[in-house]
Parts: sequence; C-alpha cells; structure tokens
Amino acid sequence: MTQITRGTWAEAGTSLDFKTGNWRSTQRPVHIHAKAPCHAACPAGEDQQAWFAELQLGHAEDAWRSLVAANPLPGVTGRVCPHPCESACNRVQLDGALAIHNVERWLGDEAVAQGWDYPVAAPADNAPVVAIVGAGPGGLSAAYHCVRLGMRAEIFEALPEAGGLLRSAIPPTRLPRAALDAELNRLLDLPGITLNLRQRLGRDISVDDLRERFSAVLLSPGCEMPKHWSVKGAVPADLHEGLALLRDFMDHGALPEAAKGDVIVHGGGNTAMDICRIMKRAGAKSVTLITASGLPGPNTAPDDLINVVPRELEEALEEGIEIIDHATVSRLIMKGSRVTGVEIVALKKEKGKDGRKRRVEFEGTERVISVDMVVPCVGEQVSPEAFEGLLDGAYFWPDNPHGRIGERVFAIGDARGSRGTVAAAIGDGRIAAEAVAAELAGEADPVTDARPEMGFDGLNTAYYAGSARVPVAKLPVPERTFDAEIEGGISRAEALAEAQRCLSCGNCLACDNCWTMCPDNAVIKTVEMASDGSHYVFDYDYCKGCGLCTEECPTGFIQSVPETS
Amino acid sequence: MAKTDTSKRLNELRMKHGRPPASPSEPKAEKPDTLREAQPRFRGLESGHRACQGCGEALAARLVMESAGPDVMVANATGCLEVFTTPWPQSAWRVPWIHSLFENSAAVASGMEAAMKAKGKNTKILSFGGDGATYDIGFQSLSGMLERHHNVLYVTYDNEAYMNTGIQRSSSTPHAATTTTSPAGKERMGKRHLKKDLLSIIAAHHIPYAASASVAYPQDLQRKVRYAMGVEGPTFLVIHSPCPLGWRHDSALTIEVARRAVQCGLFPLVELERGALTNIMPIREPRPVRDYLELQGRFAHLFNEKDYRAQEELDHLQALADHNMDIYGLRGDGLDPVDSTGMSHVRRGGPLMEGR
Repeated sequence: MTQITRGTWAEAGTSLDFKTGNWRSTQRPVHIHAKAPCHAACPAGEDQQAWFAELQLGHAEDAWRSLVAANPLPGVTGRVCPHPCESACNRVQLDGALAIHNVERWLGDEAVAQGWDYPVAAPADNAPVVAIVGAGPGGLSAAYHCVRLGMRAEIFEALPEAGGLLRSAIPPTRLPRAALDAELNRLLDLPGITLNLRQRLGRDISVDDLRERFSAVLLSPGCEMPKHWSVKGAVPADLHEGLALLRDFMDHGALPEAAKGDVIVHGGGNTAMDICRIMKRAGAKSVTLITASGLPGPNTAPDDLINVVPRELEEALEEGIEIIDHATVSRLIMKGSRVTGVEIVALKKEKGKDGRKRRVEFEGTERVISVDMVVPCVGEQVSPEAFEGLLDGAYFWPDNPHGRIGERVFAIGDARGSRGTVAAAIGDGRIAAEAVAAELAGEADPVTDARPEMGFDGLNTAYYAGSARVPVAKLPVPERTFDAEIEGGISRAEALAEAQRCLSCGNCLACDNCWTMCPDNAVIKTVEMASDGSHYVFDYDYCKGCGLCTEECPTGFIQSVPETS
Repeated sequence: MAKTDTSKRLNELRMKHGRPPASPSEPKAEKPDTLREAQPRFRGLESGHRACQGCGEALAARLVMESAGPDVMVANATGCLEVFTTPWPQSAWRVPWIHSLFENSAAVASGMEAAMKAKGKNTKILSFGGDGATYDIGFQSLSGMLERHHNVLYVTYDNEAYMNTGIQRSSSTPHAATTTTSPAGKERMGKRHLKKDLLSIIAAHHIPYAASASVAYPQDLQRKVRYAMGVEGPTFLVIHSPCPLGWRHDSALTIEVARRAVQCGLFPLVELERGALTNIMPIREPRPVRDYLELQGRFAHLFNEKDYRAQEELDHLQALADHNMDIYGLRGDGLDPVDSTGMSHVRRGGPLMEGR
C-alpha cells in the first residue's frame, strides 16, 4: 500500500481519467517556428533572430558561430550592408529597429580579436575540388561554404589581392582596410581553400578548361564594365566614369583637375554616393547628385526610394552634398568637346499602358546648371570576354534560385543581374555551394526555406519591456578624412544590451507564459530550465482548445490551427 | 560543518512555513514515471476538471495551489470551482478537500483549523469561494472567521456573478453589466447598483493581510499567496477571474480582459495590512475603461450609439475607475518594474521579475 505522508501529497487527481481533450472542436495550439522578418529580409540568409537568441544568453561566441553558418564575413557586412533586416524588424513599430548591423560588426570584430575558429573541419584529401572565379565577397563566401560542406575550393582572382569590390570600390571610411584584411585572411587561411592570384579568365584560364579540371565551376566575376552612358548621343571627351574614378582614387589617391570645380554626379547607388563624398572631401567647390529616384520621406513609395545605405545618405547630406531627386540630365552643354553645363529636367515614374512603370520627363521643368565635370554612375555590367555563350545580354540571368547556368556551372553575385549588395553575393555563394554539394551527391537541389514570416500583428507586445536603440557615435563632419572610419563601434555591454531588445519573432523565448497560464494544466515542460522552445509540449489529452496560450504567447510561436478529427 | 548548518537552517525554514522536518523514517518520494508527474511545480489542481474553455477561475485556483501546496487542506464553498473540480466519482484535487454548503466554507475552514491546532499540526487551511459565496451568501461566516482570528487563507475567485447557476447578478457584479437577473433593456442599462467594495469591509476586520490580485499577473498573484501563507492569522485574497461564458468574451482573451481591467483602474491591485494600505500596483499608462468593456458582451449595450444612456453609463464607469485611481493613488510616475506594464515583462528563459 502506498503510504501518503504529511508534507507530501495525494495521488494524481482521479479527474485525469477524464480526457477533456475531446472538447476541442475548432482549434488546437501548435508550435510553429516562423521566420523572423529580419531573417526573411536578409539577402545573405542569416538568421539574426537565432544569433540574437545566443547573445541574449550572453554566449557571444555561439552567436558568432550561428551567424557564420550563413555569412563568413560579418565584420564586412556589419559595415557595408544596407541592412534590409533593420528595415524589416518588427521592433520598428514599438521603439525603433534593433541595431542589427552594429551588433553584427561587433561580433565580427570580436571573433578576429579573440581568434574564434570558424565552425568548419578540414576537408578530406580526396574531397571534390570546386573552381571559383573571382575572390570578391561572393567567391569567398562560396569557397567558405564549399569547405563547410566538405569540399575543397580553388579560387582564381585576376588582381594581385583578394577582396574584389570590397577592396577596389568601397572607401576605407566605410570599410577600414585593417578590418577587411583581418577577416579575409582568417577565411583564406582555412584548410581546403587555395587562392591563385593574377589569374585572369580569358587570358590565363578558361571556363571550359576549369570545367574539365574541377568538379564544378562557380563564376563570381562581378561587374567591372561601366554601362554605356551618353546624353542624346553626346559624350564628353574627358569622360570619367564613376566606378573607374573611384578605383583610380583608391589605387593612387588622385582625382582629375576638373574635380576641383562644380561637379555633377548622375546616378543613384552606393558608388554614386561614395564618389560624391570623396570629391567633396577632396575639395570640389560643389557636388550635386542627380537621381531619378526619390529621397526618403513619408510619401515615398518603397520602389521609388534611392538605393543607398540609409546612414550613408544621411552622412552625405551632413557633408554638404546636394541632391536633386526625381530628375535626369537631358542635355549636355559643350564648349568643343568639354562640358560647361548640363540641362536637367524633372521626371517621375508613371504607369504606362501596359502597367509597367516608365520614366516620364516633364516638359517645362528644364533648367541649366553650369558645371566643370559630369560623372556618370549608372551601373556596371559583366565584362563579356571569356563568357561567350553564358551571358544573357549584360548579365548571366540564371533562371533558378541556385544560379545554375549550365551543368556544374553556377553564377554568383552582381554578375547574376538581379543582385546589387555584398550580402546578396554572400548569399549566392552559400546557395550555389549547397547546390553543388547536392549535385555531386546525386541529390535534388536544396529547397528554399518556405516557412511563413512572423509579422508584427502575430506578436503580443504586452510582454516586452520598452528600451531605446543603442546610440552609436559618428565622426563629426570636420574630422572626416579619406581614411578614418565614420561610424563608431559599440562595446560588449552595449551589444549584449541591444540583444535583449530582440523580440524573438516567431521563435520561442522560453518565457513560461503558456506553462503558467494554461487553466487546464495542459502545457508540459520536458526539462526544468531551457532557453528555447524545445521543452514545452501540449498535452492534447487535456487541452480544451481555448486559445489562451496562442493569445498570450509574446512571439507568435504558438499558433492555433483548425482541429482535424 | 557546512552540511549541519544547512540542514539546521532548512529545518528552521520548514518550521517557519509550517512544515516540520521530515523524519528519517518517512518514505522518499518515488521517481516520477511521466512527464506530467515530473513537472517542476506542485500540481494541486490537476487536469481533467470540467471548467469551460479559457476559465479564469480554474487558472487562478491552479496558481494558488502551486504557491500554497502541498501541506494544505481546502474548504470549498458551493460554486463553479466546487462543481467543475469534483464531478462524482472523480476529483481534480491532490490535497484534502471538503465541500459542505454555499454559505459555510469559512465556518468549515475555522473548524478544520481548530482541529489541526488541537492535533498540534501546522497544516495551513485554505478556504475557497466564488464571489457569490463570499460577497453574498457566505459573508457572515467569513466575517466570523476573520473576527475569531483563525489561521486561514481565504481566497475568493471573483468572476462577478453567479456563473454556476446561469449568470445571475451578485453584489460583486459591476455596475451596468448585463446578467440574466439584471438584463439591459428599455428599463435599465444592466445592473443598477454598484460593485460591493468588499476589500474595505475585510480591512475593517483589522486582519493581518488582505490583498487583491488578477490572473493577468501570475507572478504578483503567487507572491501574494506566498506572503499570506507565511502570516499567522486570517488572511484574505480576492482574485479577478474573467469568465468567458458569463462575460461573453472569446475564451482566448481571458488574460487580456483581466489585464485591461487592471490597467483601466476598475480592478485595483492593492495590499492591506491591519487595515492600512501597504502596497499597490501602479498603473504606468492608464487605459480608458472603454478598452476593457468593449471586449465583453455583457457591456455591449454601452456601445449602442443610438441609446443616449450608453454614453452616460460609460462615463459613470470611467468615473468609478478614476475614483479608484485617486483613493488608492494608482497613477504611476515613470517606469516601474512592478507596475501594471513592467510586471508582465518576460525575457528569454522566464518572467523578467524572477531574476530580480
């Protein structure tokens, strides 16, 4: 006979014999790991929510490991990425988005400082070898992910140094070379990666040759050739195209003589913004950006917004760059073959008969500005040499998400045509490496993550403490030089505090709300302490389907689905 | 040395909280067989009870048992709680539990306490009743128990009407709420009279501890139970427990409704010791009573824009909420971790308050 003692308690309530679970008629609660919007928006495929969860527990190294499972270069993207994750962050609607890029940068720098090891093992001696053309962010990411997936990578780079446009086109004010080199060298030192410098495709190697020698070929050549620019057929004799100008300046620090006067930059991307600011800093009398897009404002449509890193735009305005939005250069005023002025005209994107937007110039809004130099910055395309038969016009335009453009040949990054950020190139590198691994193993292409996204409406914000975004120091305008980094870093304490602001959208916080608030004792904990959602289960024998846990789950991790008999 | 000290301290604590030290001959607890048995909390009220979906009272009773148990006995008045936990031949309770009548739960508890005292045992007696059993029918036996100073924790689960018999008005039903015996219509806008201010009457008994709590703030509720358990003498707790059936709101909204009741000031969370106000839960951002009322069908007639009386009653209820804020001083100033907003905050791994 079981002896019941004082201080202990009775046997299980006999009401347990009565299964109230059959009362559920319309809905039952389930755990659904939805995508946080930051993750859904990240072109590199990072799961920011996942690494913030590690940081919330104070595990910085685990956070970094989780981060580099997708993006091996957080110190770089933390500095140069336009961070669509922050625009998508649900916390925007409470008290400001998380400072994701600042924390990402801190993690990247911390990994270098502490010497944390990338979570990869040395590939086997007989592992398949993948050839990668171009050592820019896309190529480096592809090499890293090949090694991570147990393959070897051999990179062919035309220039004497790795880095691609990170080195040639992004000014040190945004990406200091010390930070770039530190992260790049750590990655290139990984076992299984071989870097061949000064190997230009078409001169030293060819695609067919690589295809023969290697298990797969990943093309990450970037876009080196400026798109042709003219105004109604007129091109100034001393034309300096934006990206070339930027590269020359970064190479030997000199700008043409005309750059001392009034300069017009025509375009609307990060390169245009960089060249504007460098010319202004180098002593141009005035720098004006003419862009067809709109500036950020309450009435600006997202597809009309100028495509630059938001803080770069803010800093440019601080530095005195003038911007004429919704305008284009309609005529060059030449004295001989030299430009002395431009006529600009207002324009707007309007819907045409076929429903597609086109740019309409408004007659009667022309005005003439006198200038000393016009710098076109209207985009670049792939240099066509050595890619005969692979390009579709200016770019590769692969028709599948993995970038496959032929058997065991993949395209990565800007050269795909639909990209435009470092993060997207890094994401392409990973996706292509995964597709190569699957193809070599004879498996089907990996499927993309089709989980639903957790929007703001799915959260219960009554459970989140308010806290403001971490303030980040910025170099004051008079102290800005060509070399000093403008945006400051954050401290360990600030990074950990910022992590506490993460709402953990769509993923369990282990806050115990469901366990505490179920009137029917139908939520069971499998372990006493945990930090994620792996340890609650629903006891459907007793759950009556009231929906209370769904309503009171802060993150939307619990959702009600229709009851099926 | 350290070991003896620890066990001595442990025994002191056990005595203080009414649990004598375990004797060496006492059998050890057996290893739990199922996940349910291994839950890291005392399950005094088990699953399988017949409460409606989203029942606030079932939740409140479960929370009270977790913090009070296991060394307790319960006297339960007639009402929903009694009915849904003990459908013959089953019981959801895992402690000694007695039900006698509607009006005498406090009297039964008094007798149980006297019996325990006579036997020299420290088992704490809990007395449970709904608002009908407490505010109306069992009021005199409650008053007697408090006056005789029995060592009993009386908990009333306030769902503001006789829900068990089909939603009849009680003296706890708030002004203007519709029930089957105070229907809204041509003559009246729901209940004509005001909700009885029971806590003030209880406070007038000069008892050691009386408090109000809400199911929307489980950490606060359980702290109050634990505090009352440590008090020698009569203690009283009223817990606001929404009833989806009687208040006519979605069963998923039980907590949300309770939270808004606190945040608008209609159900102030206060603590009284010897009749004096000793603690309140401040309201960080008072919400209009409209936010609370609009979720519930029992106040739907207050949102009939064609009826001129509706606005008048809304204003009346707002004035009652404002009055509560004034007399208890509920208006918080600045951010407070234990105010009506901060108290519910969570972080990864649990409620925010636990770490403090």
